[in-house]
Amino acid sequence: MSYVSDLSQSQEYLSFRSSIPLRRIVVDTNNVKGGWRIYDCGPKKVRCPLICLPPVSGTADVFFKQALALSAKGIRVISAEAPVYWNVKEWCEGFKKLLDYLELDRVHIFGASLGGYLAQKFAEHTHICPRVASLVLCNTFTDTSVFNNHESAALFWILPGLVLKRMVMGNFSSGKVDPDMIEAIDFMVERLESLPQAELASRLTLNCVKGYVEAHKLADIPVTIMDVFDEYALSNSVREELYKCYPTAKLAHLKSGGNFPYLSRCAEVNLHLLIHLRQFDGTPFPASDRFLIERKKASTR
Amino acid sequence: MATRKKVLLKVIILGDSGVGKTSLMNQYVNKKFSNQYKATIGADFLTKEVIVDDRIVTMQIWDTAGQERFQSLGVAFYRGADCCVLVFDVTAPNTFKSLDSWRDEFLIQASPREPENFPFVLLGNKVDLEPRAISSKRAQQWCQSKNGIPYFETSAKEALNVEQAFQSIARNALTQQNQTVDLYNEFPDQIKLTNTTNRNSNGDSCAC
Repeated sequence: MSYVSDLSQSQEYLSFRSSIPLRRIVVDTNNVKGGWRIYDCGPKKVRCPLICLPPVSGTADVFFKQALALSAKGIRVISAEAPVYWNVKEWCEGFKKLLDYLELDRVHIFGASLGGYLAQKFAEHTHICPRVASLVLCNTFTDTSVFNNHESAALFWILPGLVLKRMVMGNFSSGKVDPDMIEAIDFMVERLESLPQAELASRLTLNCVKGYVEAHKLADIPVTIMDVFDEYALSNSVREELYKCYPTAKLAHLKSGGNFPYLSRCAEVNLHLLIHLRQFDGTPFPASDRFLIERKKASTR
Repeated sequence: MATRKKVLLKVIILGDSGVGKTSLMNQYVNKKFSNQYKATIGADFLTKEVIVDDRIVTMQIWDTAGQERFQSLGVAFYRGADCCVLVFDVTAPNTFKSLDSWRDEFLIQASPREPENFPFVLLGNKVDLEPRAISSKRAQQWCQSKNGIPYFETSAKEALNVEQAFQSIARNALTQQNQTVDLYNEFPDQIKLTNTTNRNSNGDSCAC
């Protein structure tokens, strides 16, 4: 495909790619393919960064707008993309090794769709010896039974890449879209096109194989649920289920934005991330090297 | 219509520091009041589901720090506001005098399509306190001069009129949003040749 999206030609994206190196970190001895791919932005002395986990179709660079804007405020943002894993437990073990390698005891996780599901599974996986300081869950779910193709999930690994891409792309745009959303979709299509068959098959398998989050194990973790009120790939009942699992969560609704608000509504998403993260100012788990709230002197107007 | 679209109303509360913006929001959403004054830093929001004309809508109420003009927050803060609530303290004349500048500030930053018709609601808070500095007549006159803004006298401490005021805020916000949506609707809905819309009701095929 020779098609190039507007967003990947934008100054912002080019400046991101030219200033932040893509690092490959191999944590599994048996994993011949690549390892984790990460972009690490912002002050390295921050030991409790915000880790962004992409959806099925996304690569680590889909969070470039968050990485740029938030690192400018002193937040360390690491966008991470997993190598091929075929089940959630393997994924969690791999992610833990990545955090060990990066010497991060606790992290805040911003997970979109599949990324949000895996973030919750990881918090559950590590609830005895917590590694997750907080969660921001964007357009995500707690139970894969909402997807009606978990029977076929066992076969994803042998399906051709083209078939898998079609499965994902079928959900990309629905209802009304504005120019920002079109740009976001174009960009995501481009990312999807770049994914090798094995990676896509593995992510779809993680996404669709039966599983659910034992949310009661996450009761002590501060959660912000971020979702859009226009159409996106998941239904209203999935959304309600997520609210039920986290009754004390802060609800950061966006009026619109579609499937990829971190691209199409980045200013609002970044504001919500800031509001979420600033509760850790002055705690043992700040995501930034300075206070996120400017403590100005009260001046009379 | 099978499933009605979910509605989110964005409401922004503005006014001088100490007039009770946070208290009003807390009283309305959490039914709590504290006498202790704690300055709001930056901005924060609370959400509440409300019923307006038999319809469940979600209100997202944004509270701001009265001391700072929130340059730091940027456009995202104002983007898509459906109603702006101006608050003053009925015992503090200065907070009443600032109303014009708060209103102007909002109109400049949010730049709504029709500034004259954008819904504002005025709340005169702390009516439980004496002595009164701004009479309700004076406040109402100001409202009249601004295209008939609705006015409520409230006490966040005694939960007086708070519910009624926010009910009116919600209704005004909803009317505003319906008008805005109509304006955006320059194109008719797409005609779909395949019946793909069932997806949302029958379970999800797979996430992006």
